[in-house]
Amino acid sequence: MARVSIKLMIRRRLLWGLFALGLLVFFFFFYAQYLVVWITNQLATETVRFAGIPVTIGNLTKFFDKLALNGTAHTFGNFIWYQGYVLVILLALAGSVLVGNDFFHGSLPFYLSKPIGRWHYVLGKCLAIGIFVNLLVTVPAIVLWVEAGLLYDWKTYYLDNLDLLLGVLGYGLVLTVTLSLLVVATAVWVRRAVPMVMIWMGLFVFLRMLGDQLGREVDPRWKLIDLWNSLYLCGLWCLGAEHATIRPAPQPEFWEAWAMVGTVCGVCLIYLRRRVQAVEIIS
Amino acid sequence: MQPLIELNSVSRTFGPFTALHEVTLSLPPGRIGLLGPNGAGKSTLLKILMGLIPPSSGTGRVLDQELGGDGDSEGNWRLRRLIGFMPEADSLVPGLSGVEYVSLAGELYGMPRREAQRRAHEVLSYLELEEARYRQVQDYSAGMKQRAKLAQAIVHDPPVLLLDEPTSGLDPAGRDAMLRLVASLATDHGKSVILSTHLLADVEAVCERVVIMAGGRVRGQGTVSELCARRQDRYRIRVQGELPQFRSELLAREVKLLADDGQGEWRVAVPPGWTNLAFFKLAEASQAVIRLLVPDDETLEELFLRTVGT
Repeated sequence: MARVSIKLMIRRRLLWGLFALGLLVFFFFFYAQYLVVWITNQLATETVRFAGIPVTIGNLTKFFDKLALNGTAHTFGNFIWYQGYVLVILLALAGSVLVGNDFFHGSLPFYLSKPIGRWHYVLGKCLAIGIFVNLLVTVPAIVLWVEAGLLYDWKTYYLDNLDLLLGVLGYGLVLTVTLSLLVVATAVWVRRAVPMVMIWMGLFVFLRMLGDQLGREVDPRWKLIDLWNSLYLCGLWCLGAEHATIRPAPQPEFWEAWAMVGTVCGVCLIYLRRRVQAVEIIS
Repeated sequence: MQPLIELNSVSRTFGPFTALHEVTLSLPPGRIGLLGPNGAGKSTLLKILMGLIPPSSGTGRVLDQELGGDGDSEGNWRLRRLIGFMPEADSLVPGLSGVEYVSLAGELYGMPRREAQRRAHEVLSYLELEEARYRQVQDYSAGMKQRAKLAQAIVHDPPVLLLDEPTSGLDPAGRDAMLRLVASLATDHGKSVILSTHLLADVEAVCERVVIMAGGRVRGQGTVSELCARRQDRYRIRVQGELPQFRSELLAREVKLLADDGQGEWRVAVPPGWTNLAFFKLAEASQAVIRLLVPDDETLEELFLRTVGT
């Protein structure tokens, strides 16, 4: 089922467009990481001259400093954070194509009349969605980790930062489980692509703005309603980042983010258990 | 002969709504029609027979497999491997070609990928979709869609087929073609077919036995010929002469007068053991003349309407 779902997705041109966008984000991080190391290592003097104006290295790399392009936990956290903008749109497409269509066109009896259970159906769809999540997020993050090792001292970097690789995999796993369940659940609910995009924009744009505002003015815990931020916190926990280093501060505690993500997964599972059935419930 | 389906007082409720009420059935393998108006409980019964939903009460066996338990249980999966189901809903997977769709069904039934693909090609050729097998299923005509749905039901060569409204949305030619295919699967390939429909003609064309359902209950069952024969007691009779006396004579012998057009033409139901000669003897005794006497059997349609109307 997962194989057929992937086949259905790769026939969509929009998917390739979104992958191209995702690659742009990846290449930006890839070359920027290289550039930062190159500037730091190659220039012996403290300043370089641009059009006759001396510019300090600090100023030159200030823009990149914000992205923490130094092969640490925040490098991967930031990369996945920015990749999320593309990922959200891709998942809205995946949800409507892979799951929404099954409900809209009445294909669910086709699957459930076979010797498989409803959780096989959900798992098959989640697997397909998970593959796209990982292709867009985890695999490029691993490439960045490999690149960081080559740019710094590869003899020590890989061994010293093996926990970062595990953290990237853990972050990928959290994203895969949470987002695939959320995609399947929202697609079962709204079914069509346009409402699906609207729901996702509400979740990841409107709630983010609201969470930011309330988090700054009322209580940092309000940031928990921004699911992408909660996933980011869980990811940074996997990557072993210090809570105090997370920007923008203040942020909710790690355990609160985990509780939020767990609650979202639980609600999705309960909803799917009720809705993915061979019969419509008459109430 | 081992019954194909055996149900004992099977009921199914959804909250306060009772979709099936105390259904008791024993059906041998063969071509069986499940006849009833919309909302009769046919689809719910099909889902119970496939083990998709358990009965709320009662027991049953299909193909010697006990019914009940969660739809996701191993026993029900085993049962579904033996059954090919053609749903009433569109149930196509948009974006897949015909051969991919049928092949996916085969794999979901547990066939190896290569085997499923080979069977998909075979089945689509058998159902005359050979030319269209690489086209996407959402571009198929209504008749082709129905055949694609039938193809996914038979790809794993099951002994039993459950067909839910297989001629739904088809034009007369497409309907005839579909019924011929279904009949051929039963007669030439030895499949047991359970045809759920509200169209009597479909049942008459394909089935040996019929179960009539209405309001979640079984209202009647038997072979199609038995059910028709049960009501071969009707006559249309046109009489001249002493009509009141002839009528009294008939009523005295338990002949029921079903209709009277006021012009001497009646529709009557005769008691068991009645012979046509008795009409003429009574007419002669009553000084009446019979101008017309023709059997006026109840059609399956009349039987159905009368049954579901009760």
